[in-house]
Amino acid sequence: MMLIEADGKALFAAAGIPVPDAQLVSAGSLPNLAGPGPWIVKAQVPVGGRGKAGGVVRCTSAAEVDAAVRRLLGTRLKGHQVDACLVEQVVLGEERYLSIMVDAASYGLRVIYSAQGGVEIEQSGTAQGRLCAPHASAVGEALAELIANEPEAVRVRIASIGKALAELLLQRELALAEINPLFVSPRDCVAGDAKVVVDLNAVDRQPEIASIIAARPQTYLDANRKIAEGFDYVELDPEGEIGLVTTGAGLSMMLIDELTARGAKPLNFCDIRTGQMRGSPARLVRVLEWIGSRGSLKAVLVNIFAGITDLGEFAGLLAAALEQSPSIKVPVVARLVGRGAAEAKRILGEKRPDILVTEDLEEALRRIDRIVGAAA
Amino acid sequence: MIGTLSRTTPVIVQGITGRMGRSHAALMRAYGTNIVGGTSNRTDVPEAAGVPVFANCTEAVLATGAVASVIMAPPNETLAAVQEALSAGIKLVVTVAEGVPLHDAIRIGRAVRRAGAEWVGASTPGLAVPGECKLGFLPDVCLAPGPLAIMSKSGTLSYEVGYRLVREGLGQSLWIGVGGDPVKGLRFADLLPVFMADERTQGIVLVGEVGGAEEEECAAAYARLGCWKPLYALIAGREAKEGVSMGHAGALVHGETGTLESKTRALTKVGAQAFGSIEALIAACVRDHKPVTR
Repeated sequence: MMLIEADGKALFAAAGIPVPDAQLVSAGSLPNLAGPGPWIVKAQVPVGGRGKAGGVVRCTSAAEVDAAVRRLLGTRLKGHQVDACLVEQVVLGEERYLSIMVDAASYGLRVIYSAQGGVEIEQSGTAQGRLCAPHASAVGEALAELIANEPEAVRVRIASIGKALAELLLQRELALAEINPLFVSPRDCVAGDAKVVVDLNAVDRQPEIASIIAARPQTYLDANRKIAEGFDYVELDPEGEIGLVTTGAGLSMMLIDELTARGAKPLNFCDIRTGQMRGSPARLVRVLEWIGSRGSLKAVLVNIFAGITDLGEFAGLLAAALEQSPSIKVPVVARLVGRGAAEAKRILGEKRPDILVTEDLEEALRRIDRIVGAAA
Repeated sequence: MIGTLSRTTPVIVQGITGRMGRSHAALMRAYGTNIVGGTSNRTDVPEAAGVPVFANCTEAVLATGAVASVIMAPPNETLAAVQEALSAGIKLVVTVAEGVPLHDAIRIGRAVRRAGAEWVGASTPGLAVPGECKLGFLPDVCLAPGPLAIMSKSGTLSYEVGYRLVREGLGQSLWIGVGGDPVKGLRFADLLPVFMADERTQGIVLVGEVGGAEEEECAAAYARLGCWKPLYALIAGREAKEGVSMGHAGALVHGETGTLESKTRALTKVGAQAFGSIEALIAACVRDHKPVTR
């Protein structure tokens, strides 16, 4: 999961990588500008390409900063709500690019450097990469080759930043640590941006990362939910119409694709992991509560492929959970296939005869088509 | 080793006295897998799922001659379990834990490579040679011997595909879940030569996801190997938001990398067929491979 720039820069600063003077502002707190300006205002959303999407504004006066912050806060940028902006003193210098990331195919790291950083880095064709073993010393050797043509004073500074970045990535178990642009001037080297991707599977042994995530319950809503609940739920569209109670990441993703292609609007992604329910409807109740909180909901689609789970037991839990979820007032379609499917159909037929229970996914999708069509 | 797995291949289960280990060892045995033993740090249990329990992999391998291990350990203990298996001489490790930390996966990958072994996982439902054996927990209802090799990043989506193919009378030659993590053992491109060389396999089904570059790598390997068995691809995640991962850590789109378009383009360019729905994939497989009945 990608961190917002402000959190990435906090990690950089703690690792000894210079970052500009900055202030994080959110709704209700206006910037208290230090220094003479100019300033740069950046929307804090965990996604790349903010500049091209209009999320980065250069300002020469306090009034301009004010206007930019007001304009950006509360908007959506590349699908993410802007809850905060970072206001920084503009840094002068030449722009370089430096990143270190996990390279899946080689079981090592990839170090990428370009003497021309900036927003066009991917198109510029100037970036060069080296693969190396996952050790700070190996990163140092790889980087030394990549910066061989830089003037000596610059080389020394970039090498030291590279070392700090590699140690940060290895100690905090990051997937990616990127600085673009890295400002280089005769006086210093400063990280103009921070793109840091953390590993959610390592948070329970990375307390510093865990506390960064916990400190922003809204910005890292999905991650906090996953850590607290032990399963995945991602709201895709707050105005979605089809609430999904599904198991399995791949099948849930595919269902979202297919529903969208048919003209339906899925509300959420969900991998509920039936195997972890252990006889309690609590997890189903939680998901139904989140789904039911959206007024745009038109139907709930339950899709469980039970390799191991007993569907008879699951059907009982689903009926109990629906009973405890008064906010669900829309039709429910349950596609249940696998172990105990016949028993599940019998149980739901008794307790909730209004629910369409089928083993056939296409039939379930056709029913959803009709519900959405009828409700429209 | 994947291509030569059979009902005689001796397999152990690490963590066999746990809830998962015990039940899946029994299910694998019932399917026909030659489970010869298991390991556990519990010294008071001499037997589980009808096979002997050993204190560690070295003892288990010495006593049984096991060459493969299904590792039922929690995510944070998977690295140590793999290291133990490799030092005992195990040549195929299957790790089913969801949520193995990324940097542990790198260490596992390097250790497996150094040992000259093979790794399926992390976060795999396992693999199967239908009619012979299964390592992991692929549901029996999806498995049947037949002409199609399946490789998949997703467990559930492959179950759906396998189940619907079996309902149409089309079974599988080999089935390998590579898992949805970015750093993993065998990748799509590693499996392609196995499927190409496998005489039982007449067609290959790739169940992919957005994120990473495995589908693109696989397309390049497909072209290199001569494309002479048809390759059918279903890729989930067209609607994935940039920067938001849905369940699988590997299914993450950043900019142009890892998008559905990039993967579809790479695969179709080399003659593979890519489908936007499960139904369309099934229809193509049925059209090309269903035996003619009279």
